[in-house]
Amino acid sequence: MAESSETLESKESLISKEPESNTIASEMSEKEDEFDPKTMRKTKPGIKRLTLIVAVLFSFIAGLPFLLKSIEIYRSPLPFREIDTLTKSFESSTLNIPCRFQVVYLGFSLQESEDHQSYVEKQGFMISDQMRKLIGNDTVCGGCGNNYTVSVTMESGADCVRNSNFGTACLWQCGSVDSSRLKDDDEASDELLNSALHGVDGCSDLGGKVYTVMVINKDEETRTVVGKHRHAWIAGKVTEMDAVPMIANVFVKFFMNGGKEGGLVQGEFMPVGADGKVVLSFSLLNADPQDWIYDWDFKKLSTIFVAPVVEALEAVANISIESQVLYHTPKSSFSFWDEKLSSFVFSTKDLPFFVNSNEWHLDTSIAAGGRSKILHFVVYIPSAGECPLVLQLPNEKISMTNGFISPMWGGVIVWNPSNCLRDSNSRHPVRHTLSPQDLQKVFEVFIGQLRQLFGLHSDNHFTAPSGVSSFLTSERGFAEWELDALSRYYTCSNLISCVTTLGSLSKLVQSLPRMIIKDEIGKQVKVSLEAARLAQYNASLGVYDSSTVSSRQARALAEDAFFHPSIMSISYYSFEHCFAIYTPFFLPVSLHILFAAIKEVKRYKQERTKYFAWKAKVKLKS
Amino acid sequence: MIVIVIFFTELAQCSNGKEEEEVYTEELLLRPLPDRKVLTHFHFEHKAPFNQQQHQHYRLFPKAIHQLVQKFRIREMELSFTQGRWNYERWGGFDPVSSRNVKPPGVELWAVFDVPPNQVDETWKNLTHTLSGLFCASINFLESTTAYSAPVWGFQKISGGLRYGALPREAVCTENLTPWLKLLPCRDKAGLASILERPSIYNGFYHSQRLRLISRGFESREGVKPEIVLQQTLTVVLQSDSQRSRTTNYGKKLQTSWSIRSIFGRKPNDICVLANSSTIFLELDRGLVYEINKLGVELDTASEDNAAFELKVIPTRVIKEEKRSLNKGSPVAYEFSMDKFSAGMLQDIGLTWKLPIVWACHQAPYHTSRFLMGSGNERGSIAISLRSTQFGMGSRIDNVVDGSKVEVVVFQVVPWYVKVYYHTLQVFIDGQPKMVADVVEKLHVSPSEDKVSTGAMEMILKFPSDVNLVVLTMEFDKGFLHIDEYPPDANQGFDIPSAVISFPNSQAGISYLEDNFTSSPMLQKFKEKNVLLSYTEVLLVPLATPDFSMPYNVITITCTIFALYFGSLLNALRRRVGEEERIFESKDSTKTRLLPLLLQKLFPRLRRRQQQPQSSSPSSLLGSKLILKVILVAGFAIGWHFYFG
Repeated sequence: MAESSETLESKESLISKEPESNTIASEMSEKEDEFDPKTMRKTKPGIKRLTLIVAVLFSFIAGLPFLLKSIEIYRSPLPFREIDTLTKSFESSTLNIPCRFQVVYLGFSLQESEDHQSYVEKQGFMISDQMRKLIGNDTVCGGCGNNYTVSVTMESGADCVRNSNFGTACLWQCGSVDSSRLKDDDEASDELLNSALHGVDGCSDLGGKVYTVMVINKDEETRTVVGKHRHAWIAGKVTEMDAVPMIANVFVKFFMNGGKEGGLVQGEFMPVGADGKVVLSFSLLNADPQDWIYDWDFKKLSTIFVAPVVEALEAVANISIESQVLYHTPKSSFSFWDEKLSSFVFSTKDLPFFVNSNEWHLDTSIAAGGRSKILHFVVYIPSAGECPLVLQLPNEKISMTNGFISPMWGGVIVWNPSNCLRDSNSRHPVRHTLSPQDLQKVFEVFIGQLRQLFGLHSDNHFTAPSGVSSFLTSERGFAEWELDALSRYYTCSNLISCVTTLGSLSKLVQSLPRMIIKDEIGKQVKVSLEAARLAQYNASLGVYDSSTVSSRQARALAEDAFFHPSIMSISYYSFEHCFAIYTPFFLPVSLHILFAAIKEVKRYKQERTKYFAWKAKVKLKS
Repeated sequence: MIVIVIFFTELAQCSNGKEEEEVYTEELLLRPLPDRKVLTHFHFEHKAPFNQQQHQHYRLFPKAIHQLVQKFRIREMELSFTQGRWNYERWGGFDPVSSRNVKPPGVELWAVFDVPPNQVDETWKNLTHTLSGLFCASINFLESTTAYSAPVWGFQKISGGLRYGALPREAVCTENLTPWLKLLPCRDKAGLASILERPSIYNGFYHSQRLRLISRGFESREGVKPEIVLQQTLTVVLQSDSQRSRTTNYGKKLQTSWSIRSIFGRKPNDICVLANSSTIFLELDRGLVYEINKLGVELDTASEDNAAFELKVIPTRVIKEEKRSLNKGSPVAYEFSMDKFSAGMLQDIGLTWKLPIVWACHQAPYHTSRFLMGSGNERGSIAISLRSTQFGMGSRIDNVVDGSKVEVVVFQVVPWYVKVYYHTLQVFIDGQPKMVADVVEKLHVSPSEDKVSTGAMEMILKFPSDVNLVVLTMEFDKGFLHIDEYPPDANQGFDIPSAVISFPNSQAGISYLEDNFTSSPMLQKFKEKNVLLSYTEVLLVPLATPDFSMPYNVITITCTIFALYFGSLLNALRRRVGEEERIFESKDSTKTRLLPLLLQKLFPRLRRRQQQPQSSSPSSLLGSKLILKVILVAGFAIGWHFYFG
């Protein structure tokens, strides 16, 4: 269209040209004496060509945005600013999830002289103070930090005095437990206290996770027992004052930090896949089936032992189970015969070479899709040539469990057949099945390994110098307070991981301005941000489970967006490519137009000065 | 205490006995071929109960395959990797091995899914990706709809949910065999698979590794035991190392003698203790037995030695075919149970010939081949020919149902860039053109759609049994591919997968005497009356291959033309023709014309000669200026070349 109109214009200009030149010619002959055609002209210079060229140049420039628009690539708008603010909020302060603690004094007699209320307040302050000292300045990610409340209840006879920190009804109901019923049997006492603390009303859900230490005044030796739920008790002859450091110790070391001294494992060593899934892959390896063949009743193992653990860890990870039996799988490290122990010994130095990745076809699982994490648990049955095989610790002692873990990979247990003699000389060895007792032993070690992989103590019977005399073990492998600590910790590290992933995504996207970003990615980022915010909000309320779940979701979505196939592909339309395609056309054309415009403008100016010169002359003459 | 231990072991045995439903067997079939080669056919079979609801723990069955079946709800699947082509004429086409286990070159995959019809394609895509990961092959190329098809009745008599795809150019090598062996409980550490020495089996004449999967239990029908069967077979045609061939006094050459050691170059390790049975069979086929019988040698006894040949190892048993027909001879199999022999003895299992015997293998009723006709990059035609084999004659007459008619089913898949015109289908019988309707009884065509789907043709032919040659031709046009769709090395041409020809009347099966082989799944498989199958050659179609730098050339030249046009148009609009002429004329009166001026500038000598009286100084100055210019341009060019060239 533009071209045709231009040609029309040009025709008009050609026609109009002729009279113009004629007049110039006639006038030239008339006033030759005073008119110099080189420096002056009588007519106004025509602006047709100038307008034409300027119109073309203008349309060219005006068309440029359309061209740029047409070669633009689709980039879904990402909420860069929101990602930035979220990152900053995480950088400035670690996420602290509020915890609530209560102390119940049972069977202490209150002195008449003192004001009961202020005494209880004082107790509360002392405990808080002690805890602050224990926590120190370094706040752990997912710990409670300084965001905790301590409420104190003192029950003596019919009196029930509380300090001012009691906010909700989810506290100790005075008179619900008769202290005389708390016997020596720890298990029974634990259940009794649990029913008293949680059985009353639906306290256990929304924010109702209160950690309790009962101090029971009794005529016996002082014992501290940590239960498998969210409480501990200190029983014996103890004064209120003596109990304060003990209480603070239990609160900080166990209920707050999950019982581990140096905090839990670092976020990147968390054995949970980016999509929040874990596959527990159990393998039974017969090193040499020519010697003996062992099988196990995995169905029993999974239903009786593994299923409760899976259920317990539901909040932290979505766990599935699989199993297999493999044969002809020798280990790849050496072991030597030790006369003293009358067994083959492999030391901790050999552990890196124990797993034989050439022969142990543990296999990545088809069931585990995408970015799930697989934890291998391997029972290794040595061949007759290396039986019994034992693990020697660096301190020359023999390992109790005869197994080891590899962080992020899983665990290995060496299980030796009871008598290391080949059954017979026949070519077909007898098939054995691991007996239920053996299976239970093996599984106990597995649970210990799993706890270690998750960053807890392998054995919660440890008698560290913590002043705690007894821990009660849950049949689920994890006590409730441990699970709380885990879930708090995972919420925090999930959120950090989500924020870093989103941050790198936004950095990447901003650094590659010509990368295609699909709508799907934009949507994932948005939902991930929302989930992260929800998790943050829930965490600030102290709702552990749902904040863990939404933080998991946030992380999974962030990873999904980052590893979206369209981002991974190199098919982005680079600027160089675009330049190479359009240059052969636009470079010559734009040069033509520019030069023409410059020439025309120059000429117009020149002609105008000529015209003005003539005008001035005429004026002068007249 | 001892009592308790005994009780426990008893209990364990009991529970074992109850759940001992997982069966794993390994078998090897050795058969001499008429052209001095040996057919070796390995058959590994897993059988296990299958429960789709809950997690199943298996003692032997590979976890990966179980998860595959459970995830994709596979009812039946077959995956084969083949190198080389089965020589139907020499190695036969009428026995169970050649009709069921011979596969087309490259990769062939078909699967039947137990999913709703609208999810089948999605499941197929995921399956191809998973399999390519499992077997280290590019099976994922079968993912796109342009690579697979959904046969209705031409390939298998299965209703619904069937997908078929083939990659004829896939190279098969050790990296495909290793994951395949990984599925066996003993891998290649013990048992039969331990004789698989990679160099010798890949130097063979034909190599086909197959994985067949059958699962029953998705449809909870009464009477069907929910189980999962995994058959892994490896068919290799090898030649013995010992090349020396003795001549007897009859002047005829003896067949090459061979043993396991000489054909594989390795001896078996210890037996696989996990296998319920591991057996080696040495089979003499119909034709060979007939020839031996003609020499008056009876093969009934399990002796190691007779007039025609010598077995180095005494077989455990001799198995014969159930129904025997005197005129054809019946195949004989010598069974060697591996646990009765030491490894040293096992490596000697083989044949030493004493008499020169010439025989031919049993052929399929028709020898099939497919070829291309026409030349050029535009069009051509595909021809499928069925040539009668006289060896197949007897069996053919035996099995023909419908009087004197023979039935042949043809199934072929053609990629979309070979646009077959199905209306041009022509049938020639013994060189005479026939009406299509007379010969083709049933025809199902799903035409290809450009860049969307492949074209598939299924048809049933019926013609008199005394026909010698049947030829089908179809014309096609070669399509143009988009520049992105060309594979690397596009000049090599494109492969059309093999066509599948089946003969429903003829059923290949050898039923060895019933009471003998209940433990052998391979012989049981041989007994099944299966439709005879044969694959044609892969066709190589050359397509017009563009110069791959073409798009950029086109862009550049188009842009240049446009720029030229635009520039000249702009000039035409802008120039003042009248004024320029005037100026030109005024200049002309005073100065020389433009051209001589230019010439003068270029050749200063010329000017000097013309204008002698002028001083020479400006001319020399001009000359030096010109030289300077030339040097500048040259320097610029060199610099450009140095930095950007």
